[in-house]
Amino acid sequence: MLEILSFPFMQRALIAGIIVGVLLAALGVYVVVRKMAFFGDGIAHASLAGVAIGLLAGFAPLPIAVVYAILVALAIYWFEANTKLNSDTIIGIFFTASMALGVVLMSFIPGFQPELISFLFGNILSISTSDVVTVSILSAIIMTWLLIYRRHLTYISLDKDSAKIAGVRSDLHDILFYIALATAVVLGVKILGIILVSALLLIPAATSRLLTGTFNGFFWVAILSSVLSIILGLLLSFFLDAPSGATIILVATAVFFIVAIVTRISKR
Amino acid sequence: MQSQHHKHEPEIIVKHLSVGYDGKVILSDLTFDIPKKKITAIIGPNGSGKSTLMKAILGIIPFQKGSVTMSGHPVEKSYGKIGYVPQRFDIDRSFPITVKELLSLAERGSINKDRMNEVLGEVGLNPVTVGRMLIGSLSGGQMQRVLIARAIMTDPDILFLDEPATGIDVAGEQSIFELLEHLQSDHDTTIVMISHEVNLVEKHVDNVICLNRGLVCAGPPAKALSDKVMKQLYGQHYDRHDHDH
Repeated sequence: MLEILSFPFMQRALIAGIIVGVLLAALGVYVVVRKMAFFGDGIAHASLAGVAIGLLAGFAPLPIAVVYAILVALAIYWFEANTKLNSDTIIGIFFTASMALGVVLMSFIPGFQPELISFLFGNILSISTSDVVTVSILSAIIMTWLLIYRRHLTYISLDKDSAKIAGVRSDLHDILFYIALATAVVLGVKILGIILVSALLLIPAATSRLLTGTFNGFFWVAILSSVLSIILGLLLSFFLDAPSGATIILVATAVFFIVAIVTRISKR
Repeated sequence: MQSQHHKHEPEIIVKHLSVGYDGKVILSDLTFDIPKKKITAIIGPNGSGKSTLMKAILGIIPFQKGSVTMSGHPVEKSYGKIGYVPQRFDIDRSFPITVKELLSLAERGSINKDRMNEVLGEVGLNPVTVGRMLIGSLSGGQMQRVLIARAIMTDPDILFLDEPATGIDVAGEQSIFELLEHLQSDHDTTIVMISHEVNLVEKHVDNVICLNRGLVCAGPPAKALSDKVMKQLYGQHYDRHDHDH
């Protein structure tokens, strides 16, 4: 069992996985209460264009995808604040337009693109030391902001007007939340893939919601559930020789159903 | 409520305020004062622009023309010294947060549990039993009191309430007005509220602003709420006795 931890790729995957799991679950709590599930999915898919730009330009795709996703998130925020269009429509436009851009740009890159496949479906083998460094630094910045301003973000998420009048800089923290979310989603793409990453924003938070009766509990149990799913999912994917991203999501889903059944039975 | 209206120092001065969006005028050229350390009610029929006016005064929505000053400064300078109670229907009751966690959101710096217990007691709720309840399990009246408790956590100079008594039973409406009277007299707070309960407004507030797209009346209720004004606000068939509980 401990033998697998001696593989450097597994060490990198576990470190990056746990860090990204904490980040996605912590932000996912706010995604759930703000009913922004489509945002995570949209940003993940939109990041394909960033990956394609990076590959085409010969740069590391991850930082370029992060920057691209942040720009898309800010554009969504602007359109939400300044047009009559609802959030789902705006996200849908950027999601599909960026995917289309990504597909067109990819067609200009000759030959098989293993990097592209790893972004689409996630691949623990593809996590490099520089990816671990990027994930660690960006996650540390986001988690520091989140832990300092958690009360403000909760206030804005529940009642933005009252928060603003109480002196909370609600527009600033809203923009920072969008940037943090876009960054976290793209960091998760490396492990879970574009198609599945948004699941880790939602499932641990949903599991936690069934178990806890306070917002504080909701926040920490979601993180715990996410980390547990990442560790079990990675180990299971190693032993089964199955795709890591999909295995992690299946483990998280299994945890969700077990909790749903147990809490239902215990209430009878 | 004081029986006679005297000229008081204004807390809020509204001058030539016009609000509209998408080319539609919601409020046009309103000018009035809100006196300091008194209870003012904004009344008017549905769609008269009461909530729009409150939100424009608070800087939540922009206005096209005019000015609003609070204690002589732009409203934004008073953020942090104002308590705001939104309509309780605007709060998502499925949000998984307990009453005490909700109160803690209003605190600056470290959480003061004694202050939470104090304000819950002040609004007539048991800090031990209600404090740990999720907001989704509160009754309408309890939720309203919790929102008032959150707004007074920081001991604000001015308290704004958007329809605090709407949707709760008759006894509950009465007790909310009594609670606001106590808060005003105990803390010298300026209170501005939107209300539909004209009979309670007449009994419990010091000043009214009557709205029907434009300003219809302003002043102490005994003087301002004449039969003529009430018919102008609520139509020719309005009978104030029909509105007595």
